Amino acid sequence: MLKCRVIPILTFNGFGLVKTKQFAGNPRMVGNAIQVAKVYNSRNVDELVFLDIYASDKNRKMNLQMAKLIVNQCFMPVALGGGIKNLKDIEDLLAIGADKVVLKSKIIDNPEFINEASYVYGNQCITVSLDAFKKEDTYYLYNRLDKEIEFFSFLENLKKYNFGEVILTSVNNDGMMNGFDIELVQRVEKILNVPIVVSGGAGNPEHFKELFAKTNIEAVAASSIFHFTRYTPRDLKLAIQSVGKPVRLVEKDFIPIN
Amino acid sequence: MKIAIIKYGMGNVASVKKAIDKLGFTSIITNNITEIKNSDVILLPGVGSFKKGMENLNKENLVEVLKDEVLFKKKPFIGICLGMQLIATNGTEPENVKGLGWIDGDVIKIESPQKFRIPHLGWNTLKTKNNNNFYKEFNNKDVYFIHSYHFKAKYIQEVTMSVNYDIEMVAALQKNNIYAMQFHPEKSQEVGVHLLNKILTQYAKV
Repeated sequence: MLKCRVIPILTFNGFGLVKTKQFAGNPRMVGNAIQVAKVYNSRNVDELVFLDIYASDKNRKMNLQMAKLIVNQCFMPVALGGGIKNLKDIEDLLAIGADKVVLKSKIIDNPEFINEASYVYGNQCITVSLDAFKKEDTYYLYNRLDKEIEFFSFLENLKKYNFGEVILTSVNNDGMMNGFDIELVQRVEKILNVPIVVSGGAGNPEHFKELFAKTNIEAVAASSIFHFTRYTPRDLKLAIQSVGKPVRLVEKDFIPIN
Repeated sequence: MKIAIIKYGMGNVASVKKAIDKLGFTSIITNNITEIKNSDVILLPGVGSFKKGMENLNKENLVEVLKDEVLFKKKPFIGICLGMQLIATNGTEPENVKGLGWIDGDVIKIESPQKFRIPHLGWNTLKTKNNNNFYKEFNNKDVYFIHSYHFKAKYIQEVTMSVNYDIEMVAALQKNNIYAMQFHPEKSQEVGVHLLNKILTQYAKV
């Protein structure tokens, strides 16, 4: 049976790991990316997502040397994203060992880029990141291009394109640790038939129970909960398991890698 | 023992080499025919579409040398993900394409009757088939899959492990010196690295 995935997201500012609240400025420094990747590898997390969150704003590329050091710590799948503008950028990330690349800013104006990328590299490695911002009962696609884009009309158009996965983030809940936006997830899961990774709002195991009991998604990503609380990915998997969903609890039958 | 990891522009070679390095085996990433001939084991990784994979193997002039080494000289071969699919008779991604044809079967799109989400992505459980002794210790272990197409094998006795995602699919195949797996052992932490080690150690004495 396919297991529900719990995925730590590492957000990077070009120098170190940072954590945002509602995507706002003044992110808090939370540590050294390579050390953190090493810890997650030893904890057998299901997957890791590493995002350079200011690359597009600052019009720069991801630091490939840094990304490579992180990927080298990992014997699980890693998705890399930030500042991807063309096929060469994707190729560079795959060459250092990324299993998936995360597209965001580029596809707002040019969703056709999704198909160009998946034609060359296969849709399994093309993950699309969608950030939803709720204002007065309407969801908008969060962007830093000063555009007002209604989230669900964007999604209806986007589903025609050939990508392999979506990371769905509630901007309102990002870093607030007050629970997931269940309504958003329920609406999106009806529209898309690719795997969906839900992100934004994880604060304690009860939030995971609610998400997995009320929706049929199979993956969840989180960040603050791992930086600022005592909970480990394993604790959250036990919570997900308690509402009847399958998770991967690693028993060390074989000799550890590191 | 030297392992040739075939470079043909279909990604993922770095991760495979990293796992092999960790196990202490010598490997090279190569598309050089002499280096492939001089190797003791051939490993074909890869992600992407079947058609592009065959095109690239042809473009690099690798089809003949691979066939020669693996089918005729019986050099141990490990195919991973797309590298497993390409040894089928036929592929269908995105249209009908002839494969290497080393193990009989077709690579077809995953059709889930209950409309499970595609790709089949994440950690799923291996089931050992045909009372296979070599793979017995991997029964009920979770490994990482990511694919939208699957290998429909013609002969059930060549299937060593299967996986269930609404339908039962091939997870691993074996025919003589040919080992093939749909999942990514290099991304499956201890379980995957252990499986690679088990296959390679058999040939390490030379």
